[in-house]
Amino acid sequence: MGLENRVEEDNCSMNEALLFATMSIIGLQVDAHLKDGSVYSGIFHTASVEKEYGIVLKKAKLTKKGRCSSNVANGSVVETLVILAGDLAQVVAKGVPLHFDGFAGNIACSNGEATSEIFPSSANPLNGTKKLNESTMDERKRNTKRNSVHSDNGFADSLIPTNTGKEDEGQKLLENPMGNEKGVLHQKRDRTHVEQREDASGATIIRRQVGEERSQLSQDELGQKFESHVERSEKEVQHSVSSCTSSAIDTLKPVDGEHDNPCCERPSAIDIHQDAVCSGVSTSNPVVNVSPESCQRSFANPTAILPPQSSELNKNSKEFKLNPGAKIFSPSFVTAISAAPPLVPTVANVSYIPGNSPMAAVAGSQPEVGMGTFVPRSSTPSKFVSYGNISAATGVSGSQFSQPIVGHMGNRTQPLRYAGQYHPVQAAPAYMNPNSQAVMFGHMGQLICVPVSHDLVPSAAAIAPEPARPPLTPHHVQFPKHQGSAPGQALQLCVPQPFIAGGQPPLAVPSHIPYLHTPYPVNRPVQIPGSNGLFSTKLP
Amino acid sequence: MEGEEFAVGCLLSIKTTLGDEFEGQIICYDRLSNILVLQEGLESGPRRNIRLLKANYIKEFSLLSQDEDPLDVKKCFLDLAGLQAREDSAIRQAEADSERFGVGVTSEAQTLFDALSKTLPVCWDKTVIVVMNDVRVSSPYLPESVRGGTPAANERVRKVLEFERKKIQTRGTSL
Repeated sequence: MGLENRVEEDNCSMNEALLFATMSIIGLQVDAHLKDGSVYSGIFHTASVEKEYGIVLKKAKLTKKGRCSSNVANGSVVETLVILAGDLAQVVAKGVPLHFDGFAGNIACSNGEATSEIFPSSANPLNGTKKLNESTMDERKRNTKRNSVHSDNGFADSLIPTNTGKEDEGQKLLENPMGNEKGVLHQKRDRTHVEQREDASGATIIRRQVGEERSQLSQDELGQKFESHVERSEKEVQHSVSSCTSSAIDTLKPVDGEHDNPCCERPSAIDIHQDAVCSGVSTSNPVVNVSPESCQRSFANPTAILPPQSSELNKNSKEFKLNPGAKIFSPSFVTAISAAPPLVPTVANVSYIPGNSPMAAVAGSQPEVGMGTFVPRSSTPSKFVSYGNISAATGVSGSQFSQPIVGHMGNRTQPLRYAGQYHPVQAAPAYMNPNSQAVMFGHMGQLICVPVSHDLVPSAAAIAPEPARPPLTPHHVQFPKHQGSAPGQALQLCVPQPFIAGGQPPLAVPSHIPYLHTPYPVNRPVQIPGSNGLFSTKLP
Repeated sequence: MEGEEFAVGCLLSIKTTLGDEFEGQIICYDRLSNILVLQEGLESGPRRNIRLLKANYIKEFSLLSQDEDPLDVKKCFLDLAGLQAREDSAIRQAEADSERFGVGVTSEAQTLFDALSKTLPVCWDKTVIVVMNDVRVSSPYLPESVRGGTPAANERVRKVLEFERKKIQTRGTSL
């Protein structure tokens, strides 16, 4: 017993260095040489170091064919490649920034430089360096803490304090979501952080997935966002580190059950299901991997109201900022819509709900809206204000309405025209909202519901051309992305006529616009509580 | 190779059964898995090449010198968040790169693609190089194979293609 323990301890201490080396090459492009001579090049993801040494590569390619046949085609990229211990001969990693001995001393002082080496991407290091320098003070504090902990023998323990110190850097460079990935439990919390940080609409923030945040942030505002979250994420990471490490080893056990095989055994490529097994140790969880996709899916999902399309949000973020805390906009119709047409960003995706004949009149204006009808959401009211015209335009529902429509039409001016026309509109204050909503639309794909009263229909008669409009083409339909509609508002759900889904020539619109708006008036602000539900049914 | 477990820090020159030859300093040896961890490129900066070699693939080796243990356990640390980030960005980069490689195309085609991509937005569509989403260049990737797009775009792609082909030829002949 005693002897075994000693041996184990020796192995443990030996394994420490192996573990350290293994961890150090995570994320790097490595060449895995197999016993048959073939070489696979991929990103080192994880390894099983319990009894035998098996590895997992991501985005692996066969760079040199070996003597034996394999189930990986030459040149094709394998998402996740598991190389069993029995097949592995050598792993070569180039340009590994190992931090030990000579370098460790430098770490405390020049975290920026050291850390920036870790990241292979070109964009990050530059940002990271700057950010890191800012928090040198904090890092030094943490470094001392880390060093003291390092005196422990346990390797896993040493990881934790290390994490603390480096957390800032990692976060500055990466962002919160990294911490999120480790601790799935903490995701919610981090998401809330993101909410505060994000400029985008409230709905976006709420639903934004980790992966999505990360990609966005890395592209956009890396620097600004993370500092506030550094400390919070630290704790999260700490908690999750040890659990991740241990679970990694456990989960990897099944992988390396094999012993040396005859030379001609085929190395096998095991796909993504293994990913789940190995996710514990390093980096991305399947959860995380999946999330960006699911985000995208949800965006595309007509019924999904909340998550707006990120790209569009980005586009529109400047134009409108969804303010989740915004009050419901209650327009006062006093002002005519002088309003400059709100910037209606080209709403690439127009979604609307064709149907409702009563809305038909409204639909007239819809073509403009073609851009996208959006469902006004609670937060939108405020947004609308930002658009400017909306707020002022309370009275002019029409104008507002037209604004979003501008979409591809580019008829921003249209609304102005409407303003003049719409006196009736002014009558209906509630009406405004929807219009404003319409503005919001810029966001794309929000459904704009503008109830069209039948009363107005006669005026809509002038809208003759409308019917001519082609029905909304499916591809234009964009489903309302949460514009943060204020439920309370008189969002009048409008069932946009099947117009435009982007295909409409703007030309048609202008003439109709005046007419179109008439229907809108507001006579009845239609409350659309659960617009989501409404839309979901309507949305294609 | 039990000697290695006591020889951390030794500089060895190793020949493997796979035909590799290199020199490296032992960082550690794990008896259980029989893995020898070596680092190459002594003191060439913060970055080194690391090899994890299974000891049973060593054909022959010779001891060059003996040094101190390069790993000071007390000073080693890992930036887990950084590692994770590194991997994620590497994966992203790999995904972006994979778009640039044609599958089932000749290396000449790939070279042409790479050359075109320096100045024009190009992508692969199976084995067809698609430039600016309009102009298509299919095998054998001659100026005559350029099709589609506006006449101006077509012309431009042809010119670039001819130029690049000439460059490849001169490069080939000069070799």
